[in-house]
Amino acid sequence: MPMTMDDLDGLTTEELDALEARLERLRSMWEIANLRGQAAIFHDDQHIGEPRRELHAINHPSVDAEALYAFRSKPVVDNLEGNSLVHPLATPIIEVDESNSRARAVWWSLGVEGLSKFREEPMAIISLGMVPGTHIRTEEGWRILSGAWQRTTKNEYHAGWVRSMVPTNTRPPLTPEEDRNWLGKYAYRADGVRLPVPAPPTPDTWVRYPDECDDSWLMADLDE
Amino acid sequence: MTTTTPQKLRILDAVAKLEAYHAIQNLMGRTIVALNFRQPQRVLQAFALDRDDVSFEYADEGRFVGEEAVRALVHLLVGEPALPGEMRDHQLTTPIIEVAKDGLSARAVWWVPGAAARIGDDDEPEALWDWGAIGADIVLEGEQWLIHHLHFFRYILCHYDEGWTEDTSLINRPNIPMHPLSQPTTYHNPYSPLSVRDGIPAAPRPYDTADGSTWMLSRDKAE
Repeated sequence: MPMTMDDLDGLTTEELDALEARLERLRSMWEIANLRGQAAIFHDDQHIGEPRRELHAINHPSVDAEALYAFRSKPVVDNLEGNSLVHPLATPIIEVDESNSRARAVWWSLGVEGLSKFREEPMAIISLGMVPGTHIRTEEGWRILSGAWQRTTKNEYHAGWVRSMVPTNTRPPLTPEEDRNWLGKYAYRADGVRLPVPAPPTPDTWVRYPDECDDSWLMADLDE
Repeated sequence: MTTTTPQKLRILDAVAKLEAYHAIQNLMGRTIVALNFRQPQRVLQAFALDRDDVSFEYADEGRFVGEEAVRALVHLLVGEPALPGEMRDHQLTTPIIEVAKDGLSARAVWWVPGAAARIGDDDEPEALWDWGAIGADIVLEGEQWLIHHLHFFRYILCHYDEGWTEDTSLINRPNIPMHPLSQPTTYHNPYSPLSVRDGIPAAPRPYDTADGSTWMLSRDKAE
């Protein structure tokens, strides 16, 4: 039976406040998932300089907005045709704090890419990885405070993930060492043991790590 | 007009059910991550081990019932430290979660695409596709949702280079002894060029109270 205004009128103020708080936290989980979904779409759509709504908490003191803008303005390919970065978001684990103003989350992803740097025939790529991050609620809604792509594999399609690891495409190109120290830090290695990073946020994550700028929760399982 | 107590309860139950959907998604997310990262204690923490009929069934390794057996299967799957070059990367998609009317249990299905690498006969890692589906009964113990029954239904396990229509060598386990604590497998129907697909595990449907795991294998598509 649909809820009516009379139904809600019958709740005490305390009951209504508690109910509203629980519902707002539930709504936040959807809004954060939607936010990261938008970010995934923008990641695939690589048009430089086009006006687009801001998804990051650029006014937060910890965010270097100028560096963020500079990073976005740099082309890394000559042409957009043939290029694609589709990283679907799976395995969502989202923990919103009691104040409903901060949230930590991790998604895993099994994605595909197309890469053509200089109008050459595009390379098909299989791209496994995770999207760990922290989010805060601003006056404009939920925004990304930190966290982007963490690569597991980025392999040429035919070669597979054991035989191929394509570095992140940058200009100038990264050396293999630079790549391994950046997005590929915890990537698959045929000669290495996989490390448990990022740790998924636990229900008590905001008790254990109360500072939203503290990203050590991502490495919590390295000590085990 | 004032709200009757039953109306208040319905509203609060609805909110609790919405919270349960989210808690269960987080629970299974953390569990699949723990399996991927070979963290046996984390996996076991997700199970309702104090229940006599707690169970975990994995592909055609058999059904493991009771705490001792579940611990044995978890050890079999992820108990040993990972070798260099090994990888398991299962991911949860397509969640279908039904919380019981009484709010004390839930039934859930996820489809699970996955990639893997294992050490081959030549001691070199080899890339594999490893896909399946999860069926789960979840129970509320205190304020915590825990796994009561878990079943990983294998869809494909094949060498990456050959793909699932050419390589059918891994769809069934080799004819080596079953684990002594395992009970017969209840369902194993991976893809092969000659197999016929079933809609198994079935999508959970709205229900009143927990009464076992037979719903996972239901072929009744009309109900």
